[in-house]
Amino acid sequence: MKFKMVDKIWFKIFTVVLFSYVFIGGMLRPLNPGIKELSPISVKSGASVQIAVNTYNTHLKQGEVNGYLKLDSLYALPSKAVTVNGPSSGIFDFDIPAVFPDGQKSSNVTLIIASKTDGTFIRPDAIWIDLDSTKAIQAGMNWQKDIIKNLPVASNVGFPFRLILEETIRNVFYHVPLWFAMFILYSIAAFQGLKFIRKNKAEDLMKSYSYNRVGFYFGILGLLTGSVWARFTWGTFWTGDIKLNMTAIAMLIYAAYFILWNSFKDDQLRGRICSVYSIFAFVAMIPLIFVIPRLYDSLHPGNGGNPALGGEDLDNTLRTVFYPAVIAFTCLGLWLVNLTYKLTRINHKLLGE
Amino acid sequence: MNKYITLIRKDLLIEFRNSFSISSVLLYVFATVYIIYTSFFNIKGKEWNTLFWIVFLFISVNALIRTFNQEHGNRNLYYYQLVSANHIYITKLIYNTFILVILSLIEYLFFIIFAGNVVRDLSLFLSCLLLASVGFATVFTFVAAIGSKSGNNQLMTAILGFPCIIPILLVILKISANALGLMQDTDLSSDILILISIDVILIGISLLLFPYLWRE
Repeated sequence: MKFKMVDKIWFKIFTVVLFSYVFIGGMLRPLNPGIKELSPISVKSGASVQIAVNTYNTHLKQGEVNGYLKLDSLYALPSKAVTVNGPSSGIFDFDIPAVFPDGQKSSNVTLIIASKTDGTFIRPDAIWIDLDSTKAIQAGMNWQKDIIKNLPVASNVGFPFRLILEETIRNVFYHVPLWFAMFILYSIAAFQGLKFIRKNKAEDLMKSYSYNRVGFYFGILGLLTGSVWARFTWGTFWTGDIKLNMTAIAMLIYAAYFILWNSFKDDQLRGRICSVYSIFAFVAMIPLIFVIPRLYDSLHPGNGGNPALGGEDLDNTLRTVFYPAVIAFTCLGLWLVNLTYKLTRINHKLLGE
Repeated sequence: MNKYITLIRKDLLIEFRNSFSISSVLLYVFATVYIIYTSFFNIKGKEWNTLFWIVFLFISVNALIRTFNQEHGNRNLYYYQLVSANHIYITKLIYNTFILVILSLIEYLFFIIFAGNVVRDLSLFLSCLLLASVGFATVFTFVAAIGSKSGNNQLMTAILGFPCIIPILLVILKISANALGLMQDTDLSSDILILISIDVILIGISLLLFPYLWRE
């Protein structure tokens, strides 16, 4: 990466604009409506049940809301009556049929709420229905085919509502791009180190050092944002999760780089040894981040049965902010590297002469 | 080829003429295992596995930290005229791997005596020892070379080496748990393959980088 580009004013404006977009777009866009909590979550068949539902980000109005219990792709059950208690709470009455159409003993059903103002939102596997064999087969309510049709669609699309994550889903714009940017910076650092040991130019060495330093800061920020996120979703600041611990070790490898850097008095020797270690550290880090986490289960998306980054977790509305965020953090990293590099060069000149 | 044999012979001769160093490492192995035995008394499967490899980690640091102690100053210059840098590195690597294999077998023997033998699959465990020795020797030889260039050899080797060794150590712990019958891994062969590839990558990168490290 040429530093000439980073010094240009358009590059700085581009970074600032992109960052403003990421912060404003990422923070101000609301979440889609979703079902936050409901009770009861387990009922018997053949009973009339009242399901109290708390929703998120909705404007429910009496008479505009319908509920459905969806059994499978074919059968569903419409609600008998809906009482709206407020913009985000309501009670849905269902008469659960005595038997299942396919003769199951029990089943999970999905709750679908259709509201004219908010559109349609669902909670998969919301309620567990057990077959109550003592109930006689009544006429009346039955699982019906093809009743879920013409559902209302919301006019404005927000970020997806996910259980547990809720509003913290926005952290995906800060936590994940920080790691992307860190890895890009470390790779350029290793490349600059390689250039230094081949051509022995002091500039390459200072660049390599600056890239490593900013990459290290980004790593610390990545750990901090992840830690805050983990407190909200998993309940603790630090877990035994394999990815956390492997990244912590990767940070140790790079922390050792800075100790090594400061342990030399001779500039020439320091340059060679530190560049060599920087390349070695980069290669040693690759199994830590890309190989070992694959061997163990992890709470992170993409591991242990959790959906991956490319799957349904990163939907198109998130992508519109996520990819600009990756570019924005990388540009910010390059900018910081440029400043660190200038500072290192000035220090070097002042101390050298 | 002749150069390699001569260099390894030289290292072996230095090691055995100076019987202090080899016996000190042996005593270190014995003392560590004995301390663990007296503090645990009854070492079962999982503890056996963990303790074995942690002891092995410390043994290898202590044994390999002195790798480049003799190669400094004028003698370094002398070697540099005679052979290429990679000659030195490869011989040191082979020699250190050899030392680590011997030490790990001795450690295993001490563990059998004091803690009992819990290994179910001996061939798997022995191949584990071999692969671990290669990986540990690669990392610590390279890091000892870096350390010998900086002022504070002992401390620097430990600081730089420990984080770099963890990927190997984690894979080793998993494979070794299989050899001990603690867990049944469905894709054991891919784990072994990963370990071999980490070893190969580290050897490759250190061969590429060592000449730059060595140049004065």
